[in-house]
Amino acid sequence: MASDTGRKQFWKRSGAKVPGSIQHVYGAQHPPFDPLLHGSLIKTSSKPPTTPVKLKKVSTFQEFESNTSDAWDLGDDDDELLAIAAENLNTEVVMETAHKVIQNHSKLQEQHKLQEEQLQEEKQVESSEVSSVAYVDNRLVKSVSEGHTSSSSDNASENSSMQRSQSLPQTSTPPLASGVDHSTSVTSALTEREASRLDKFKQLLAGPNTNLEELRKLSWSGIPKQVRPIAWKLLSGYLPANVDRRESTLQRKRKEYFAFVEQYYDSRNDESHQDTYRQIHIDIPRMSPEVLRLQPKVTEIFERILFIWAIRHPASGYVQGINDLVTPFFVVFVCEYMEDDEVENFDVSSLPEEVLQNIEADSYWCMSKLLDGIQDNYTFAQPGIQKKVKMLEELVRRIDEQVHRHLDQHEVKYLQFAFRWMNNLLMREVPLRCTIRLWDTYQ
Amino acid sequence: MSMEDYDFLFKIVLIGNAGVGKTCLVRRFTQGLFPPGQGATIGVDFMIKTVEINGEKVKLQIWDTAGQERFRSITQSYYRSANALILTYDITCEESFRCLPEWLREIEQYASNKVITVLVGNKIDLADKREVSQQRAAEFSEAQDMYYLETSAKESDNVEKLFLDLACRLISEARQNTLVNNVASPLPGEGKSISYLTCCNFN
Repeated sequence: MASDTGRKQFWKRSGAKVPGSIQHVYGAQHPPFDPLLHGSLIKTSSKPPTTPVKLKKVSTFQEFESNTSDAWDLGDDDDELLAIAAENLNTEVVMETAHKVIQNHSKLQEQHKLQEEQLQEEKQVESSEVSSVAYVDNRLVKSVSEGHTSSSSDNASENSSMQRSQSLPQTSTPPLASGVDHSTSVTSALTEREASRLDKFKQLLAGPNTNLEELRKLSWSGIPKQVRPIAWKLLSGYLPANVDRRESTLQRKRKEYFAFVEQYYDSRNDESHQDTYRQIHIDIPRMSPEVLRLQPKVTEIFERILFIWAIRHPASGYVQGINDLVTPFFVVFVCEYMEDDEVENFDVSSLPEEVLQNIEADSYWCMSKLLDGIQDNYTFAQPGIQKKVKMLEELVRRIDEQVHRHLDQHEVKYLQFAFRWMNNLLMREVPLRCTIRLWDTYQ
Repeated sequence: MSMEDYDFLFKIVLIGNAGVGKTCLVRRFTQGLFPPGQGATIGVDFMIKTVEINGEKVKLQIWDTAGQERFRSITQSYYRSANALILTYDITCEESFRCLPEWLREIEQYASNKVITVLVGNKIDLADKREVSQQRAAEFSEAQDMYYLETSAKESDNVEKLFLDLACRLISEARQNTLVNNVASPLPGEGKSISYLTCCNFN
């Protein structure tokens, strides 16, 4: 991946690169794997100096697939992985890099995330290429490699390869919870580091006035699960920086939301609003993750939030994809009231009615705040998205001309693959816990 | 892999109201899947499937569009280059049928005048919830000079037939155009016997 280094570093804002791209070792060595994958990965992992750049480029897609396939793994067992890796690679090299991995585990967590995001994005670019065989092949490769990772993880029975990317809370409870709760590989150093980070957040949040700039800066490298709900509420502008005013603000805003519900929600079957409601009603039963859409209580809440938002924002109204933007808020706020082992089932009926109402109102307001900043994404002709896709094109043209040229040659328009990225803020492209981690930096 | 490994390439665009099953039709045909609970299509999506008809490779580039009106400005730009349009409604949803004239106006305005349009009533597996009779749809399609078919993406009824029949029609259309235009270099496969009826008898 040497030639990719420059590109990666562009996206990576934090930390120095950890030696040896360890992920390849992990991703490549989950047995049994696709021989095609195997070949390309061995090639890159052992880096024969003779490998022409061109050849490597050809396998880039597969590399992305395999790199990302291990990224969602929860129950990484280092020993097991090392043993497997050692069978297939030069043992010395593997052990050396592997030890570095363990030492740098906590540092890597963040980098992995960034890499994952980047890889996911690039994967999208690649998969938009007009080529049927590659499309089919890559799908196959993906499901194969994901299948293996899931079978080696603790909650294997829960994970089908499709669920892995679609129903997040089930498959990724620990990362959803904090991003670094790999229970089998937590080192004391990691815990200490996490504890000190959490302390920093707590100090900042304690007030009397939270410095939002400071909070934003700290959040860039991820918000610990325990303080994420309050941090998001502050960063979105929903909660005031002043500690003394927070509780009263919450009470007032929650009351205000339910006044809206009372005032507007009955009108959902009126002629003027029925199209809006019908569209929401069609979209909710097919949203991800499944664990949410299968709970009638949750779908009711989503329908209310979206309907109220839509009729209070007539310039855009409800646009498909906005439904995805409720999910991260809702999940984060619900997790505040759930034990780690409950999050997996995510059964909201276990929550008291009042708590659920507060979550609903808070989700509504935070989503509103988020959408306030991007409403032109959803107005007629969606100029905000058009503009952002243009910016992306310009960016890719500047930082990776080769990719740009490739797309151009195959007549792939950026709008064809990046429209959804912008419309749904990547909710469809990366797993929910990664979206949540990303949103730590959005607000 | 060679991108030129086909005798014909056709672009097919699916349009119709949100939630009628456009994506499911495409998924069923290209991947043999009916994954429930897929998110709504945002903007456009596309899939490719190469089929063999009478020994010739036909590459179908299938564009799946979002049904919601707000995405129209994005989806319209794909009509122009389409060889065929699959106009889909849901037989259990009167509303989706009543919107058809609106869709035809879109086609009129943005698609090529040579485009072949197929009317598809999807979800026939939900027969007890049917709101649009077959006769009504048949009459409508006849009046609009459209080929008409009912499908179930869920049960895989008529889905293959839909796309393969369409491919056959596109091939014969392409041949006719070649003859009419008297193009110097004949299309690949020219001269082989091909007829719409013989090649579409697979069901």
